[in-house]
Amino acid sequence: MSHLHALNRKNRCYWRNTGRIFREQSRFKVMFIAAFAIVLEGGLAALFYDGFRFLSELGGAGTVILNRLFALFFLAVGIMTVISSFVITYSTMFRSQEVPYLLTSPFTLTDIVTYKFLESAVLCSWSFFFIMVPFLAAYAIHEHLSFAFALWNLLFSIPFLGLCAGIGSSVTILVVRWFPRRNRIARTVLLLLVLSAVLIAYLKTWSAGSEDQLQFNLSALLPGLSLATSKWMPSWWVAEGVMSLVRNDWWRGVMLFAVTAANAMLALLIVQEIGQRVFWDTWQLVSFGTGLRSSTPALFTRLRDALQILRPDVRGLVLKDIRTFFRDPMQWSQTLIFFGILAFYFANLRSFRYHLFPDAWRNTIAFLNVFSVAAVMCSLGSRFVYPQLSLEGQAFWTIGLSPLTPVRVLLTKFLTALAGLLPVGVALMALSSTMLRADSLITALAILMACCLASATTGLSTGLGAIYMDLHQRNPAAIVSGFGGTLNLVLNLVVMLATIVPLGALLHLRNTGILPDARFHMYLAATVVWLISVTLASTIVPLVLGSRSLREREF
Amino acid sequence: MILIDHLGKDYGSVMALHDLCLEVPQGQLFCFLGPNGAGKTTTLKILTGLLKPTRGTATIKGLDIRKDGLKARQITGYIPDMPFLYDRLTTTEFCEFTADLYSVPPDEARKETSRLFELFGLDTYRSALIKDLSHGLRQRLIYCATLLHHPEILFIDEPLIGLDPYTIRLIKNLLVESCRQGMTVFLTTHILALAEDIADRIGIISRGDLVALGTMNELRDRHGGHNLEDTFLNLTSGEKDP
Repeated sequence: MSHLHALNRKNRCYWRNTGRIFREQSRFKVMFIAAFAIVLEGGLAALFYDGFRFLSELGGAGTVILNRLFALFFLAVGIMTVISSFVITYSTMFRSQEVPYLLTSPFTLTDIVTYKFLESAVLCSWSFFFIMVPFLAAYAIHEHLSFAFALWNLLFSIPFLGLCAGIGSSVTILVVRWFPRRNRIARTVLLLLVLSAVLIAYLKTWSAGSEDQLQFNLSALLPGLSLATSKWMPSWWVAEGVMSLVRNDWWRGVMLFAVTAANAMLALLIVQEIGQRVFWDTWQLVSFGTGLRSSTPALFTRLRDALQILRPDVRGLVLKDIRTFFRDPMQWSQTLIFFGILAFYFANLRSFRYHLFPDAWRNTIAFLNVFSVAAVMCSLGSRFVYPQLSLEGQAFWTIGLSPLTPVRVLLTKFLTALAGLLPVGVALMALSSTMLRADSLITALAILMACCLASATTGLSTGLGAIYMDLHQRNPAAIVSGFGGTLNLVLNLVVMLATIVPLGALLHLRNTGILPDARFHMYLAATVVWLISVTLASTIVPLVLGSRSLREREF
Repeated sequence: MILIDHLGKDYGSVMALHDLCLEVPQGQLFCFLGPNGAGKTTTLKILTGLLKPTRGTATIKGLDIRKDGLKARQITGYIPDMPFLYDRLTTTEFCEFTADLYSVPPDEARKETSRLFELFGLDTYRSALIKDLSHGLRQRLIYCATLLHHPEILFIDEPLIGLDPYTIRLIKNLLVESCRQGMTVFLTTHILALAEDIADRIGIISRGDLVALGTMNELRDRHGGHNLEDTFLNLTSGEKDP
């Protein structure tokens, strides 16, 4: 029996048992998650459908965009899969405890790399089906396409996502292998290069698009459109292939499928080849490094000095959390990727000529940007802040037996996370408003919302993390996917909608002239009071309940 | 059976293993002792193929661990101090999986699994998920899975962690009996009494250098001391645990 076959059989047992565990869980929890997923998918489908209808009603540019939207969608999914693959490949290939076990078993390196790549590909792409299904369903309904459209999409999606995951995995292995982790000069040069590139892009976008250039063209409106429909791009192969099959143009459809599948297989071969040559060395480098590190980064020393104002026990806890964050590539890389993408997008808003749009549109975009920053804060809060207390796990005796009171532990965790999220959220909102040339009221409101959402997300995640603390689980993903983690995510989304929607609706009503200015100010004051009340409630209540739970808990 | 020739390993500027030369013949139970950070686990990781040596070579039954690593792994078994297990497999499924990896025929695997489960008292846990097992039961399962394919050489890092006295006795007897039947055992431990009890030969490593090698009596004669503890402390005196 081949080794991959044995792994395959093991995986079948694994999924069967996972199903068994799932069936043994509380019915309420399963129904709660299922209902949430259905509502989310339905809501997304309705939103997409409304968007398609809007574009077709727009005529002209709208119709052209609609015709090419399918390719653009696959380009976006492809880019997201590649980015997701960076993080997932790193954790499955270099951080998984399974790898040393496989390395001491009779597997060839090709077997191990292939198996871990397939695992990464599945893990980094499955969640995109949650976006693909409502988008494609809405597109099919709007364009009156048959059921075969879904089938062809599924057929094309598998090699397409495999190809994107292959690109991500290859880049990850090579970067991890040759990233100059100990060479300060090389790191500084690399950092300067990245900063220079960002600065050049920023200066270009700052000077782009003066008022007399209002007659922008379609490619300026959606820069990705020309890239997505290039015949060299896999997104075009998928879009064109699926539409050819829907139109019963079999020859063209099959040919494009063959092109996509052949490239996916080539990606697998490249991953195997790179893996065979450098995986083992790279894994050793990550696992055993270059020996004992005696140096303490200057950043931590300075941080310790800067935190002298805190009580020694609180300072110890804060420093421990900051060190853990920076020494865990999963945490800082995901934060950097999420916020980095948003910062890059906001810095490039003027390339899209959004700042030349009418006020109503700019306000809408500004609020969509608030929404995207809030969504990232919400996902980071759920992923990293919520499991913080549980992850103390078996080490809780250190904190639990120290003179730090549970309330102080909770508040320290809350304030440390808030100190991380708040400046980033505020800076992003300020950047977005500046690039959009939004008026001072919109800028102030966007920044206020970033502050409120950072506080609410951190308070909810810390409080619920204490209430549903699981000291036996060491896997953060398992902690997050438990009942408390799911509840935390849902409540975060509810709070996010409860804060953004009223203010967004109010501004929309004013911009469309439905609400006169005199009444607008009165409603605005009421909405700000509502925003602050929701924030205080979702920050303080979970923290109070969490500290009570910590006080009563037996360890 | 195991031949280590001028083996060395550097971690950056730190030399973890200097110039290790050692031969362990077939059927011998070899205990590798040393203070924390002396190079025991590094040696074991090199022999099992987890680490690449900076210098020197090691062969297992004539197979170079670098060039013929795959063939070498086919005839060896490794029990690390913190073993990895698939939490969502049952004990039986994990053993089936291990048998598949080492191409043990299914019928033989089933019989051997039953025998080992009975021996290690895992009979009542056949369909239990690994995530539900205690630390001691997990350790017993690791022994079952590792012995399933009858390895010719067994590497063990700290063999008795988390085991009850009954299982400790069982494992000691099993290792001695297996060596009598031709299996070679290379184990590292901090429990000197274990080495005194069961080892055919003992090696003591200190700061990456092999400082003593021989049977219990030979070590006592050469380096003094009433027991292994005295000998060990004489040889490694001056080195404190990091």
